[in-house]
Amino acid sequence: MPDPSSASGSRPAEPGRDWNDELRARLAPLHLHPTREAEIIDELSQHLELQYEELRRGGTEDEEARRLAAEELLGPEALAGYLRPLRTLAPPTTLAPGVPRASLLRDLAQDLRYALGSFRRQPGFAAGAILTLALGIGANSAIFALVDATLLRPLPIPEPERVVMISERTSSSAHERVSPNNLLDFGERGRSFEMVAGFMGGVGGMVMGGADGIAETVSRQWVTGGVFDALGVKAIVGRTLTMDDDRRRADAVVLSESFWRTRFNGDPTIVGRDLRLDGAPYNVVGVVPDSAQLIGKTDLWGLVSIQGAPPRARAARVFQGVGRLRPGVTLAAADADLSAVASALAQEYPKTNEGRGVTLEPFADAVIGADLRQTSILFLGVVAFVLLICCANVANLLLARATVRSRELAIRSALGADRPRLIRQLLTESVVLSTVGGALGLVLGAAILQVAPSVIPEGLLPPAVTLTFDLRLVAFCAGAALFVGLLFGLVPAFQATALQSAQALAANSRGSIGGGSRLRNMLVAGEVATAVLLLFGAGLLLRTLMAVQNVDRGYRAESVLTMMVDPLGSEYPTSEKLLQFYDTVAEEVRALPGVRSVAWASTLPLGTSYEGTRFVSIVGDPPPQDGTLPSADYQVVNPSYFQAVDLPIVIGRGFDERDIPSGVPVCIVNEAFVRAHLQGRSPIGMRVSLRSDVEAPPTEREIVGVARQVKGRPDETDAFEQVYIPMAQDPLGDMFLMVRPATGSASVLAPSVRAAIARVDRQQLVSVRSVMTLEDVAWEATGRHRFRAVLVTAFAGLALVLAMVGLFGILAYSVQRRIRDLGVRRALGATTGDVVRSVLSGVARVLAIGLLVGVALSVALGRVLESMLVGVQPLDPLTFVLVVAVLGLTALVAVAGPAWKATRVDPVVALRAE
Amino acid sequence: MTDIDADARILDRELKKGSAELIILSIVEPRARHGYEISKLIEERSEGQLKFHVASLYPLLYRLEERGWLQGRWVEKAGERRRRFYTLTAEGRRVLARQRETWKSFVKAMGLVTGVDHA
Repeated sequence: MPDPSSASGSRPAEPGRDWNDELRARLAPLHLHPTREAEIIDELSQHLELQYEELRRGGTEDEEARRLAAEELLGPEALAGYLRPLRTLAPPTTLAPGVPRASLLRDLAQDLRYALGSFRRQPGFAAGAILTLALGIGANSAIFALVDATLLRPLPIPEPERVVMISERTSSSAHERVSPNNLLDFGERGRSFEMVAGFMGGVGGMVMGGADGIAETVSRQWVTGGVFDALGVKAIVGRTLTMDDDRRRADAVVLSESFWRTRFNGDPTIVGRDLRLDGAPYNVVGVVPDSAQLIGKTDLWGLVSIQGAPPRARAARVFQGVGRLRPGVTLAAADADLSAVASALAQEYPKTNEGRGVTLEPFADAVIGADLRQTSILFLGVVAFVLLICCANVANLLLARATVRSRELAIRSALGADRPRLIRQLLTESVVLSTVGGALGLVLGAAILQVAPSVIPEGLLPPAVTLTFDLRLVAFCAGAALFVGLLFGLVPAFQATALQSAQALAANSRGSIGGGSRLRNMLVAGEVATAVLLLFGAGLLLRTLMAVQNVDRGYRAESVLTMMVDPLGSEYPTSEKLLQFYDTVAEEVRALPGVRSVAWASTLPLGTSYEGTRFVSIVGDPPPQDGTLPSADYQVVNPSYFQAVDLPIVIGRGFDERDIPSGVPVCIVNEAFVRAHLQGRSPIGMRVSLRSDVEAPPTEREIVGVARQVKGRPDETDAFEQVYIPMAQDPLGDMFLMVRPATGSASVLAPSVRAAIARVDRQQLVSVRSVMTLEDVAWEATGRHRFRAVLVTAFAGLALVLAMVGLFGILAYSVQRRIRDLGVRRALGATTGDVVRSVLSGVARVLAIGLLVGVALSVALGRVLESMLVGVQPLDPLTFVLVVAVLGLTALVAVAGPAWKATRVDPVVALRAE
Repeated sequence: MTDIDADARILDRELKKGSAELIILSIVEPRARHGYEISKLIEERSEGQLKFHVASLYPLLYRLEERGWLQGRWVEKAGERRRRFYTLTAEGRRVLARQRETWKSFVKAMGLVTGVDHA
């Protein structure tokens, strides 16, 4: 037997290449897909080679062995003949220009089949990539729903761009309410509008008597006739409120669709019937879609007539005006038109209208609000970054994979697949990944939207603006999937196909591509920078949240139950009757077991101010030089209020039995008020002049005490000035009942307190609503900050994890590639420390570059966020330090595994593997 | 027409009869094998009586794969060229059992008719 080594020595160089040519020639008539062709050639040439080698080992001469092996292929047409009937050997693929579409589609089908097959072979890679993309696209789709609802989608009314909000403008405020008389004049004299109407800003409650004898509180908003026409809302059943109803002063209501459906089962015969509201009949004229709730979330709208309002009503600024522009009229033209009307009115009625102009604002801007727009844009930016990180990670996975596959690609390219064809194949794989990821992301987005309503703070979204899962969202996901598929696929595809095929074939099986690593490092550095940016933003928002949550609210009571108690006005026509009612309720509640104190207040600390502000001045002081009129929050409370919420009176006294309707008009001011208006003078005994309106007659009250400062809003920047008025001297039609328990949680008292009110309210004419604790009020007041902070933190966390996965990826890959190198170093006496240093130096550079870029971007971001921050500076050094610490720690976790592996490289094993 | 082509046509007919399928399915029944191994085993077990050429063996393997009776998989091992291994699928296993039965009855019938002892 001849020596096998001599046999292989005489073997012609690269016999496989010969078989390849031979096989390619025989397969040529089939015009196979290049991938398939390459596989067949690979498999068959192997067989022939093995056959040849066996023959040579058996002693056959080289030429004879080659001839015998070649005989395996039978006649020149045999192979093609046998293969032709097979279905899976898809017909020809040509890339010549002008090929029929069908062949491109067939290409696509092949590419798809191939891609799916390759993912099945590498399920780990596919799962990682798909999951990453699903997270990125899912988060993006949920945020898209928010952005779509707030920024992109037109409001759900016809031609929303023609609807404008109308406010009165004074030197101190651009958005004052409009008086009924002015509203009528705007509508009659202004030529730009099809309709001008108004609504009351707040939504109140009414007690609706049921035929079954059970009364319930329903929400109600007062509107003028024509308001639905101005909005462009048409009735579903019946009609809307008209100017004619207004003229007739009809007791008419319109129901919202959801209320009609839930309370009346969508019964159309309700129209024309009367509802007993607050004990009086109101005629139901129609039902309108819930889109009308853009002006207020309410069950029904009641008509308040403004035509024929007495001249003195011109000073009663209670309405928010809303108008529908005539077609083609611009906002500027309408503004000029109404401004002219306003100045005419100012001349005609100088007492009430002097110095008053108008402000017109697009309805959509007024409804959505700047705060919400800002939040939406913030989130959009955040999730876009997260998606970019996802793309970078998947691109990295693909790059690593492309490096491994460089040999396969080179073979295919050597076999005649041109570069565009290979790029298309690789892109098909990327797009398949992103499509599956996008579909999963859509499911994830839908799931997020399912739970969103419970996470989104009350009042963040205006009523009738809802987050919906619809075709737009599906389209967004599809678009995002395609976009990211191309984005993360393009670079690796070009990178992988850029090599000359000979170069790749010559490369050994480890097939490293230097350019690929550089690109991958850059991508990971970008991910780190993005994660730093998001972490920094999250840090600032978290510190803001902590600041507003830990703000000194001023009062000390831990747990206080509160509820709005709204007795029907006609039952308590006088202040005496009203006070009597409040006193009776307070007595009844105070008698309950477990109740420590009971109080009444018009506004809750940190709650929305119901009574608004009054213009204030110190009697005897000269009016301010600059013509501005200082104002302070007007808060009506009963004597036990200060004790109930544990708010200390720092100077003077609280309210007591002296402060009765017939007594001296008194008030208590807070510390900020004293600082602002008394300039070191002793407040007790000073007299404050209070006016609800510049023209209204002032009321003078004597200051009897100074209360400790409370916060009006948790994030207020200017100290909140307050004037407290004794309830007996100005009882309001609805008040908050506050109940402080002897011990424990206040919320458990709610049922017994409600029962106590019911015992006083035998006729069921008292509306009780907004039952919550002071804690709940404070929680709601910080809701926006919490929402932003939590969401941005969640996304920053996600970004951090993804970036660390990327970091782990490049390190693990580089260790894998350098096993031999590390082995050699080890063999030459490198210590564990040397190995770790050498492995980590590259990663450290990536991390450092990412961190530097991230910090630089954060400096810019801080300025963008400035308006959302409270109690923290945009360039807060502590936040920077924390971000670096968090990044450092997580990076340690990410690199620990691969670094440990590097230290465990056994020189013997590593070198033998070659 | 060359002799080889004529030979191929004869083999073609042989393949169509289905016995070739039975042979290949039997060969890969115990474990996954690559093409060369399959051809060698056929030759070895038939003591040189049966021989499949590359030009017919692989198209047949592809056809069995296409029918879902075999599954071909590229397997890479360190330091070696990747190889395509064929395994029997569940469907292939059912087909093999059925074909064995058919073959047995056929051989039995032939023995009864022709008097050739099939042992």
